[in-house]
Amino acid sequence: MNALLNWLDDRTGVRKLLHEALYESVPGGARWRYVWGSTLVFTFVVQVITGFMLWSAYSPSTRTAWESVFYIQYEMTLGSIIRGLHHYSAQAMVVLMAIHLMQVVIDGAYKAPREINFWLGMVLMMIVLGLSLTGYLLPWDQKGYYATQVTTNIMSATPVVGAEVQTLAQGGRDYGHLTLTRFFAMHAGILPALLVGFLALHIYVFRRHGLTVHDPKHAADAQFWPDQVLKDAVACLAVLAVVLTLAIFRPAELSAPADPAVKFDAARPEWYFLFLFRFLRFHAVEALGLTFGAIIVPGIIMGIIAVMPLTERILGRAGHFLNRAFMWALAAGVVVLTVLAFYEDANDRGHQAALAEAHRDAGRAIELAKSPDRIPVDGAVALLRRDPFTQGPRLFAQHCASCHRWNGHDGRGTLVTDALKPGETGEPPVTLPTAADLGNFASREWMKAIVVDYSNHFRWLKNASWYTAAKEQEAKGESVDFLNPDASEMADWTSGNAEALKAPENAENVTALVEFLFAEAARPGADVDEALVAKGRSLATEGSWAGALNGTSCSSCHDTIGQPFPAQVDESSGNGYPTMAGYGSAAWLRDFIRHPDAMRHYGSKNRMPAYSPEQLTDTDLELLVRWMTGDYPGSAVADYPSMLDRLPEKK
Amino acid sequence: MTVTDSNPAPGNSADTTAAGCCHAAPSATPRRSLLYQGLTAFISTIIVAIPASLGGLFFLDPILRRQKSAGAGKAGPAARKDENGFIRLDVTREAVPGDGTPVSVTVFDDIEDAWNRFPNVPVGSIWLRKVGDGPILAFNSICPHLGCSVNYRRAENDFFCPCHTSAFALDGKKSNEVPPRDMDALEVAMRTAGKDDPAGSEIWVKFQNFRRATPERIPI
Repeated sequence: MNALLNWLDDRTGVRKLLHEALYESVPGGARWRYVWGSTLVFTFVVQVITGFMLWSAYSPSTRTAWESVFYIQYEMTLGSIIRGLHHYSAQAMVVLMAIHLMQVVIDGAYKAPREINFWLGMVLMMIVLGLSLTGYLLPWDQKGYYATQVTTNIMSATPVVGAEVQTLAQGGRDYGHLTLTRFFAMHAGILPALLVGFLALHIYVFRRHGLTVHDPKHAADAQFWPDQVLKDAVACLAVLAVVLTLAIFRPAELSAPADPAVKFDAARPEWYFLFLFRFLRFHAVEALGLTFGAIIVPGIIMGIIAVMPLTERILGRAGHFLNRAFMWALAAGVVVLTVLAFYEDANDRGHQAALAEAHRDAGRAIELAKSPDRIPVDGAVALLRRDPFTQGPRLFAQHCASCHRWNGHDGRGTLVTDALKPGETGEPPVTLPTAADLGNFASREWMKAIVVDYSNHFRWLKNASWYTAAKEQEAKGESVDFLNPDASEMADWTSGNAEALKAPENAENVTALVEFLFAEAARPGADVDEALVAKGRSLATEGSWAGALNGTSCSSCHDTIGQPFPAQVDESSGNGYPTMAGYGSAAWLRDFIRHPDAMRHYGSKNRMPAYSPEQLTDTDLELLVRWMTGDYPGSAVADYPSMLDRLPEKK
Repeated sequence: MTVTDSNPAPGNSADTTAAGCCHAAPSATPRRSLLYQGLTAFISTIIVAIPASLGGLFFLDPILRRQKSAGAGKAGPAARKDENGFIRLDVTREAVPGDGTPVSVTVFDDIEDAWNRFPNVPVGSIWLRKVGDGPILAFNSICPHLGCSVNYRRAENDFFCPCHTSAFALDGKKSNEVPPRDMDALEVAMRTAGKDDPAGSEIWVKFQNFRRATPERIPI
């Protein structure tokens, strides 16, 4: 062993190198306060190890980036841990860097002759921030995509060359494959290489001048090895423990695959940039322009830090005091703004709703990607675009929620509210629906409500302005054709027979009729009781009720009940009563949304706009109908909670 | 447990104080005790060893995965594939020439590639051969030597691989010493409407690839 070392030493001088590296003197003894630089080097080593591993499985293109990160996170051995380590070590690095910088200024380690090393440190800081920025985009999820959009748009605010800088960063006018390949080259190649180079210089110059001793009389002098190394190693172990714990118990997030066509209202930068984000949202800052807030102010701050050695040189002790005061003020400002941003987001209902949707989309994307059919060639984004569970709520909110509601909300989990009048503050009032709540459309409850509770079920219609107008006309004695939940043949049948319908002798008949109607809607995967359905069918077509109801059949008005939809297709068809053929089924619903005013539906009583393919494409109609009829692979992702109890009954 | 001569503290107490607080023992060149150095070396090693070994296991995923979840999470078989892995070909018995001339046929199947699934794509090609009314023979067209493609040589009336001159007779037997084994014959089933029927005209082949450069046939 010794012979081998001698042989090696003769040729490389390894002993001298080791000696120089390890046996540096630490005046005043080893101290915990000296560990920060070492923890930074350590986190960088962790980033290199985990980064190379992630590189071995990552695929930078807009159709494979999210997919490969998904694969790493959810399929590969220890993938979640490796990605988590990389994710949290990056954040640890920023935190440790801030501590390191604070300490350097407080201890005066920037003073002559260490100015150059101070500036080298600032270069390293820029590189680390560049790494965190480029890394945030690489998973190509909604979160990274929209947050990085903000950053590249800020770049475009650079005076004179803004547009060119942005185009260069993006690899084109818009985000695409080349944005990822370029960001990846920066993140895994150029920036780490620069970091290694500058880190070597930083450590070399550090060793040249030695440690900035805080208090030489603190204790007897010690050696770097093993005294300080032990403290450094223990500190690194603590960092590793924190990062590993986070990686295991709070795996790094992967939001839904990036889709430029899908808004992402929950966009926020990584938490350590939140202070800047919040700063830019001050109206006073906004008024001064993006260039001022996002480029000039940070530039001035960096400039002030950079000239700290000169400030101290010129002003002496007063300069050092100023520098320290500036750092404390800056730190306080960052903390206050960060806390403020978190506090405001937590109390911002819009942001919370956007977060809920983001989590729902993310969970669904991951769920679909895990399915046996895996991810198609056109990427995970296509999985979501073709998924009724994801698209249905959006289409509903866009096209239907101005009148209808879905369990009280707009389909996307948000209450529909009126705008606050100028000068008003507080909660905006909830807007009343003016059409049925479709959250339980074509379910057994829905069918039962129509049979036994018709007026109440459609009471929302009475909030509509057309209803008020029609009632006024009616009061004047004019003849109006409109849907009146309180007075129509159906309403009269239900209310007129309310007692008979609720009588025990008809209890099973009602259940059977509901089961039959529910079976007619043919919801995918619905489990129906065939005997009850048969019984319900004879009730509907023959009216074999008990007591006073006997002989009243649905089919005496709804003559196509029990037939598949469409029973009759020509436009003139219909006998003045809405068709119940395949009522609530996908075929019925598709036709109803396109032609609610057809004779087979509500005819002249209809007030719902007919959605032509120009307003609602066939693809979107299909997604909407499949969502409303439950025709999609089930989901374990939590759906939006019902908000029915938050709807006021009256204006 | 040795304490350096210059260290006045008795026994282990020097170690405990040093590790516990900042009060370092007075020393210039003399080292701390071996235990102290050992502890430092140990912690320094594990802080690198932990991320490195986690990374190493991650890198070994392709090997670990096979043991962990062989065949797990597979989708249902493609429409033209049965549960035993037989795949229906486009050609029928009648389309294979009766004079023994081999024909090359592309095999279609679903491919699962990491996160993607490609339904019904070409997965390989095989040689089919029939003599008179005899059985259909099927060979994987990948050379068992080093994985190039075996061609039919009309002039020589044999199979020949242009890469390293492996040659095989039309019944798949190797005819020179280059390949380690005969061509890889594949199981064939004749069927009618998917049911086994020796006189049927549907050709179903159990398509498999085998390790190259070994005398034995080892499915991949």
